[in-house]
Amino acid sequence: MIEFHLDPRSGVATYLQIVQQVKEALRLGTIEVGDQLPTVREVVADLAINPNTVAKAYRELEREGLVVARQGRGTFVSNTLARGTIRHHDALRESLERWLDAAQNAGLDEESIRALISSTLRETLARRVA
Amino acid sequence: MAWVTWRQHRSQVIAMGALVATLAAAIVGTDLPIRAAYHRDTLSECLPPTSRAGCDIIVRHFLGQFDGWVTALRGLAVLPALVGIFIGAPLLARELEHGTHRFAWTQGVTRRRWLLSKTTLLAIATVATSALASALVMWWRSPFDTLDGRISPSGFDIEGVVVPAYALFALAVGVLAGLLFRRTVPAMTATLIVFVSTRLVVLAFLRPHFLAPLHRTAVASDTGRQAGDWILSDTLVDAAGRPITAGREDLAVLHAQQAGIDPHSYLVSVGWKRAISYQPAGRFWEFQLIEAGLFTALAVAIVLLAIWLIRRTPS
Amino acid sequence: MNAPPLDARALGKRFRREWALRDCTLTIPKGAIVGLAGPNSAGKSTLLALAAGLLAPSEGSVAVLGRDPLREPSVLAEVGYVAQGAPLYRGFSVGETIELGRRTNSRWDDELVAHACSGASLATKVGALSAGERALLALALALGKRPRILLLDEPFAGLDPLAGREFLKLLMDGVAETSATVVIASHVIADIERVCDHIVLLAGGAVRLTGNVEELLESHRILMGPRRPLGPIRGVSEIVRERYSGRQATLLVKSDDVIRDPSWTVEHVALEELLLAYMAPERLPTPRPAERAALRWHG
Repeated sequence: MIEFHLDPRSGVATYLQIVQQVKEALRLGTIEVGDQLPTVREVVADLAINPNTVAKAYRELEREGLVVARQGRGTFVSNTLARGTIRHHDALRESLERWLDAAQNAGLDEESIRALISSTLRETLARRVA
Repeated sequence: MAWVTWRQHRSQVIAMGALVATLAAAIVGTDLPIRAAYHRDTLSECLPPTSRAGCDIIVRHFLGQFDGWVTALRGLAVLPALVGIFIGAPLLARELEHGTHRFAWTQGVTRRRWLLSKTTLLAIATVATSALASALVMWWRSPFDTLDGRISPSGFDIEGVVVPAYALFALAVGVLAGLLFRRTVPAMTATLIVFVSTRLVVLAFLRPHFLAPLHRTAVASDTGRQAGDWILSDTLVDAAGRPITAGREDLAVLHAQQAGIDPHSYLVSVGWKRAISYQPAGRFWEFQLIEAGLFTALAVAIVLLAIWLIRRTPS
Repeated sequence: MNAPPLDARALGKRFRREWALRDCTLTIPKGAIVGLAGPNSAGKSTLLALAAGLLAPSEGSVAVLGRDPLREPSVLAEVGYVAQGAPLYRGFSVGETIELGRRTNSRWDDELVAHACSGASLATKVGALSAGERALLALALALGKRPRILLLDEPFAGLDPLAGREFLKLLMDGVAETSATVVIASHVIADIERVCDHIVLLAGGAVRLTGNVEELLESHRILMGPRRPLGPIRGVSEIVRERYSGRQATLLVKSDDVIRDPSWTVEHVALEELLLAYMAPERLPTPRPAERAALRWHG
């Protein structure tokens, strides 16, 4: 089950944060096809946000084909984003942790690590396309 | 609303009940010696119109023996006022003072229905307890009523159907006062003042004239009792019917004394009489119904006014 | 059935000589969660009290769910109202308070109330509850009648942040369950910014701003630049507030188009900033002729 968290200062609209968190959960395999998303009532009772916001997020996810709303029964995951990569996650997570240890030992702070990851990711993706 | 009314006013209703229960205990407890004395002196033989010799002495002793209790019982006339002060006035004043009317009047019951239901239910409880109190008093006072009558205020005000009517009136005045003053203490004070003044005005100016008073003349020296009747006025008048001032009467007595004549016989010989206006004992129930009707009608009118006004109360 | 949940027309209320609310015209759309904002004595409580049938208008009219709450008090069965301070009978227990709600409301949802009061012990006297618990109980009662519109007057006053958050959670849960329209009056914007999709700003008894929050934030910008005499700026339809310090000018503007003027730095406005600008005294609306159009609701 997903647990949403809200960052009111991130500048990102609330409904988008929910959409992003659902997508992230899909990518990580936290939720799978057939799982039910928390009901609107559950989400607002937990986060204290407008039910329309949650409804809007779920509609957006439905529009993107990731979930489907069943009248009277809830909203269910209908598609995956992981594309079968989840089985690789554990090994990848381990090597990432080792890399992060090395980076911290080398003296990089959080901001520098993020900058290094972002720029390397960008370059790598650009190379792939080209 | 029955549940709500009971839950909010149960301590008041229970207090009313406890008061009447205490009264009942006192009534029953004090009744034994009275009945005993009554039978011991066979006072039943001294009731008017029977008039044995020596009855006046026996009656005087009997009345004197229990005079303290009889006088104390007259204090019960204050009970109806308590209904108005402690049940009627806080009804609305407390809600308005504490702001809880913003809670009570925004549920599914309209203000008018809320007030009508509460007042009706409390009125029923009031009538029941005050009728019971009145019945107890009437039972206790029966020997005194037969000897002394009950149409005069000492008996009238605490017996019969007027007691519930007074209580209803007090309740109504309290409710309206609570609505107008919006604070408990001013409402209670206003209720007391209005209740007492109204009772006094009716007693002093209206009740003597519910039905046209009867008149009779008596011999100037006659100091006999007129058992049971309510004497409204008893004045000395001359042969032509003009009232005689106390000063003039004193002069006449002085004149008689100086002339060596018995003053009483002198007054009779100059043709002076006593003019007595009174209400006869037999009119007790008629007067009770008139006065009870008056106070009940006032109570109903006041409550209807409160119900009409409550919609206009700002919050 | 299709009447808006709350509709005020030139609504005014006078106490003795002071007008607490004047010439207030607004319509609240169904299903909205409206923040009624403004400083103290702005007229927020007065507006809600008029809507709840606790006050009679001095001028104009107010209709709740299409009916006048004073002439047709039966409409109050569908209106949930929590006054400032969440008044309840202090001598009642929690259970008895709920019983009062059950007995005086024809439509009553026991399950919803039980769910809302799951934290409280039924035997506790209301007087012994904390301010937060009382507010929750008052809200639970208001929700228990499954209202179509909820009017909350300064519910966060006197509540610590944790209690305030619990209150919002219960409120949103209740709204999700009942689809009620909500109007929350609060002079602290942060409390309601989280949940409101519409804003009504009152100040000095007058409506200063109304609209959908997203649209309002999208249609206003902060412009910063060197201080200079101002001419028309492309993309700006109205300057709401001007501030000057030294050689810098900061403007809060209403924009009808993208602002591409390079001499100004353009930034988004935060809701609180926007409301403060519209509350400023110099923005007092000029006396209008009788024939002006009513303020339209955005969205």
